[in-house]
Amino acid sequence: MILDIQKLETGYGKLKVLLGVDLKVGKESVGLFGPNGAGKTTLINTIMGMQRPWSGSVKFDGQEIGGKATHLVARSGIALVPQERELFPGMSVADNLELGAAWVPRAAGIEKRQLDMVVQLFPILKERLKQYVGTMSGGQQRMVAIGRALMANPLLLILDEPSLGLQPSIVAEVFERLALLKKEVAILVTEQNVRESLKAIDRGYVLENGAVALEDSAAGLAKNPHVVSAYLGI
Amino acid sequence: MNRNLARVVATLLGALAVVLPALAGAYPLQVARNVMLYMALAITWDMLLRSGQISFGIAGLFGLGAYASILGVIRAGMPAWASIPFAAAFSALAALLIGYLILRLRGMYFSIVTLALAEIFRIVIHNLHDFTGGPEGIVAPAGVIFGGSASGLYWLALVGLAVALGASIWFEKSKFHFALTAIRDNEIAASSSGVDIFRWLLATFVITSGIQGLLGGIFVQSYGFATPDSVFSADFTLLPLAMALLGGIHGTVGPIMGAVLLGVASEWLKLQMPYGHLVVYGIIIIIVILFMPRGLYGLARKMARPAEGRAE
Repeated sequence: MILDIQKLETGYGKLKVLLGVDLKVGKESVGLFGPNGAGKTTLINTIMGMQRPWSGSVKFDGQEIGGKATHLVARSGIALVPQERELFPGMSVADNLELGAAWVPRAAGIEKRQLDMVVQLFPILKERLKQYVGTMSGGQQRMVAIGRALMANPLLLILDEPSLGLQPSIVAEVFERLALLKKEVAILVTEQNVRESLKAIDRGYVLENGAVALEDSAAGLAKNPHVVSAYLGI
Repeated sequence: MNRNLARVVATLLGALAVVLPALAGAYPLQVARNVMLYMALAITWDMLLRSGQISFGIAGLFGLGAYASILGVIRAGMPAWASIPFAAAFSALAALLIGYLILRLRGMYFSIVTLALAEIFRIVIHNLHDFTGGPEGIVAPAGVIFGGSASGLYWLALVGLAVALGASIWFEKSKFHFALTAIRDNEIAASSSGVDIFRWLLATFVITSGIQGLLGGIFVQSYGFATPDSVFSADFTLLPLAMALLGGIHGTVGPIMGAVLLGVASEWLKLQMPYGHLVVYGIIIIIVILFMPRGLYGLARKMARPAEGRAE
């Protein structure tokens, strides 16, 4: 098991947001769905060490990482594409990508290989390596952000709402690329856009009010009446 | 800017700095020393700014270094030259302890605390009368370093500037550049790329404060005395800040340009209208902030390459 979360509880001040979440990610692509306020981003922040667990455990690659500092979690092999403002706009595309690998031991010495992999995945970045990312479109910026995370040669790639603020054609493209990626790296992705993301994942969890309400394969979720009525809007 | 042109300009300026003592008299050398001092302070201020942290505490660490140097000579019997690196070490150590406490603050909160620190240092030295000489100040019995030789003092100031310049260029060429730009742009993305934000900020704060202390030591040894009001003067915070803003922030070239322009201009203005130069400073800061957020150097780069807009 790459990521193994057990009975995780955390919150802000007196407000408990996660009420004992169990979630596992193996060598696969896992979706994390749920309405606003369900605790998806809190869960990711807790994995990344931006939020302390109150109780329970977060194991990554066999090691307990709950409460570890964010930069140490990142160096141990989890790469995050945070929600929205996920880039360094004052740097070129090339620098953004290089920075993704600069501090992670797993990426040391193989930056060239990772860069080849990223520009193969997102060919448009190849011709724009010198451009400042602040001047790029939202969709291109998202590609740079995903590329930067991949530069770290992660064992687990986490994406928090990768479709947020993108036009539908770009959303479809992003999920197409994620579907290609799942052979290389374990993925945990939170999404509001359940329909598109079901194409890219193997399994999914539905998080409601801070607890896992449902857990099933992508096909199972697509047929589940609750998912269909609440998230697919049919 | 054209890389070769930049290299030629840098070489010419360097050559000018080296031959100046042979050509110029005592007064131009004194002006040059002042310009170099403020230039070095402007560069160190900018180095921390590259991480997004705005310090108003330059005068505090500068003054602390100045007192460390002169008290090192008077109370500990150090030779004058040795008291200057001692001043650097003292300010760096102080910055390490303070930085450990305050570098978790961000934005306005960090800025205000640094402003307060400078004032606290001044008051403490003001009140430790028996040890520091109190408000009347303290005079080095052996007098000014190098017997006050104009060229000697000039070389000393040049060394101080060289240290600041060297550190700034090192920051631009090394991993500091990546780390500080990443922290300035986006802390969440930086830490989730493995950047240890607190350690990079602490290292930057300690290094820049150490250089500010070094410059304080050079300053005080060049005059042979210190008073709390002279070495903790707000000028040592405000002038470097104005110079960096005018020339252009987030790089080595901007503060150099700003210091040369504003340093020479203020010397001239002082003669034309005493104290009026401070009004001019204020006006310059307002104009630059309103119309040239990246300073003169940023403006020049934009005009040279309008297509490649640098996004902020």
